[in-house]
Amino acid sequence: MADTLTLLALFADIDPTVDAIDKLHSMGITDEKMDVISGIPFNEEVLGRPDIPTFIPRLAMGGAMIGFIVALFLIFGIPGLYPLNVGGQPVFPIPPFIIIAFELTMLGLMGTAFVGLFLAGHLPTYEPKLYVPELSDGKIALVFPCSVEQQAEFVDAMQSLGAEQVRPVEAKTL
Amino acid sequence: MATTAESIAMPGASAKKPKDLHEHLMLDPRPRGEMNAMVMESMHTTSKKFWGVVVFLALTILFALLGAWGYMIAEGMGVTGLTRPEYWGIFIVDMVFWIGISHAGTFISALLRVMKYEIRRPFTRAAELMTTFGLIQAAICIFLHLGRVWLAYWLVPYPNGRAIWPNFHSPLMWDFMAITTYVIASTMYLFMPLIPDLAMARDRSTGWRLGLYRLISLGFTGKAAEWKFLKTAMNIFAFAIIPVMFSVHTVVSWDFAMSTRPGWNSTIFGPYFVIGALHSGIAAVMIVLFMIRSTMKNMKYFIRPEHFEFLGKLSLIISMAWAYFFFNDYLVPWYGGNKFEQLLLDFHSHGPFAWVWVSMLICNILIPWMILWNKKWRKTPWLMLVVGIVINIGMWIERFVIIPVSLTITRMPFTWRLYHPSIEIPLTIGTFALFMLLYLLASRLIPLVPVWEVQEGQSAHIVRKVGKAMVTSVSNVD
Repeated sequence: MADTLTLLALFADIDPTVDAIDKLHSMGITDEKMDVISGIPFNEEVLGRPDIPTFIPRLAMGGAMIGFIVALFLIFGIPGLYPLNVGGQPVFPIPPFIIIAFELTMLGLMGTAFVGLFLAGHLPTYEPKLYVPELSDGKIALVFPCSVEQQAEFVDAMQSLGAEQVRPVEAKTL
Repeated sequence: MATTAESIAMPGASAKKPKDLHEHLMLDPRPRGEMNAMVMESMHTTSKKFWGVVVFLALTILFALLGAWGYMIAEGMGVTGLTRPEYWGIFIVDMVFWIGISHAGTFISALLRVMKYEIRRPFTRAAELMTTFGLIQAAICIFLHLGRVWLAYWLVPYPNGRAIWPNFHSPLMWDFMAITTYVIASTMYLFMPLIPDLAMARDRSTGWRLGLYRLISLGFTGKAAEWKFLKTAMNIFAFAIIPVMFSVHTVVSWDFAMSTRPGWNSTIFGPYFVIGALHSGIAAVMIVLFMIRSTMKNMKYFIRPEHFEFLGKLSLIISMAWAYFFFNDYLVPWYGGNKFEQLLLDFHSHGPFAWVWVSMLICNILIPWMILWNKKWRKTPWLMLVVGIVINIGMWIERFVIIPVSLTITRMPFTWRLYHPSIEIPLTIGTFALFMLLYLLASRLIPLVPVWEVQEGQSAHIVRKVGKAMVTSVSNVD
């Protein structure tokens, strides 16, 4: 919509930010429409926002299973194709399998957790973003859409709750 | 939010003065912008002395590592001191040593993160970086030891015309798997918490640095969802990488313990090696922290005597554990009465390398115990540097005793021969130079202090009055 803009309210501390989130809720801005950007992590409980679902643990479990299956192939498949007699040990030995299975399962688990971070967070991305450098100086930003007519009302509401700055923001290359 | 020491200096709070509270980084917060500026300044500050050291290390690598390695490739492994019965010499000593060094990064970062030890916050990255760079040296040592290094790809399991497949019964193959897993996992674990600091550096850089940080910060902005995903992945890693860390040095120990050689065939080698790795690794962290604190700008704010005190305490406990495992490893063969094992023990303590064996005990037990029991000494950074160096010398010697010295005594006395390293010495110096050069360059390219983690920790600490004392409370906001 042409008459809609994005406002960024900058706070110095978490408590007024949380009050501002509540205020935005009461003014009709839902959680889906607003974003909290900060220089340190605050979990959903602190922010009073709904849980952000993540598939990273499930993906990691899948990766662990793939790692385990690869280990099965290495330790049972390869000796099946090329049997080796090592000191009278069985061709398909269980104790060495445990070592290989452990390493590859853990590699699969961690590798997919790492990839999952990028998939879930849509990283890397070098497109223009709604961002101000003060955020990495410890400020906390609330970013939300509002109509041009409501801009003054939102600015007043945010400032009354302690926002240091409230201004329209546009996506910029970082 | 943190209550600063000034704000809690209330009447009746005389038991602990605000000055004492300022000794703790978590109770001495500064604005985030100021901390960012301090870290950025430390990364940007170089001097002629700095570049002089860089050039010196680069030249050392050129001659001692690359030059000597090239000569060894051209002339063959005959230029080393390796011969019957010592087929494993200093290359393997160095490999075990560097893998040991790499253990501390994960131990400090992951285990202390899982256990919520707040004191870890400013120096986790310095330790993690040590892990990655230590593993690079360990990998180089493996390639040095291979001899015909151009055939290294034969270790990789893939279908080939020679019908040669890796033997998964072999501890060397387990080692390959374990080290590969650890290298990949620890590099990812180093990178993840670095992303927000790279974003911070991006916001404060221009020129080529801006381009670099823009690229490697991946477009991270600090949205709530991005933090959530980052913390989730880091939690998975923190738990998963700890058993991998233990497995790596255990598997390294099995390279020896799976043989039936006197002195090697020991069921206690796994935990003995793990403790040894932690002993040298924690000591190496003390050295690195001293160097960072004394040579980089503004680092005295982040790296304080309290951190040396903590590491010193940890080191003392680990030194005691190492002594316990060493004694176990000594007592059982001594009691067992196996002729060759007794000959080996006698060779260790009374043979031509007896001075090395005694030095090992002095460096790993006597000196650390004499110094680390004292809290005041533990808080003295230069003394902890000395202890760190001494322990690392002791732990290098321990591996030297386990590998070439122990290999001297076999069940065939006509093969007994003393090991005399030759080209191995410059190559060892080369790996140390490469480690230092990588660390030096990294210190100017990436924030060595995880500023966001420090701020997160400071914001979780408060000081409250209990009776007449001021005590610290930490909020669990995770």
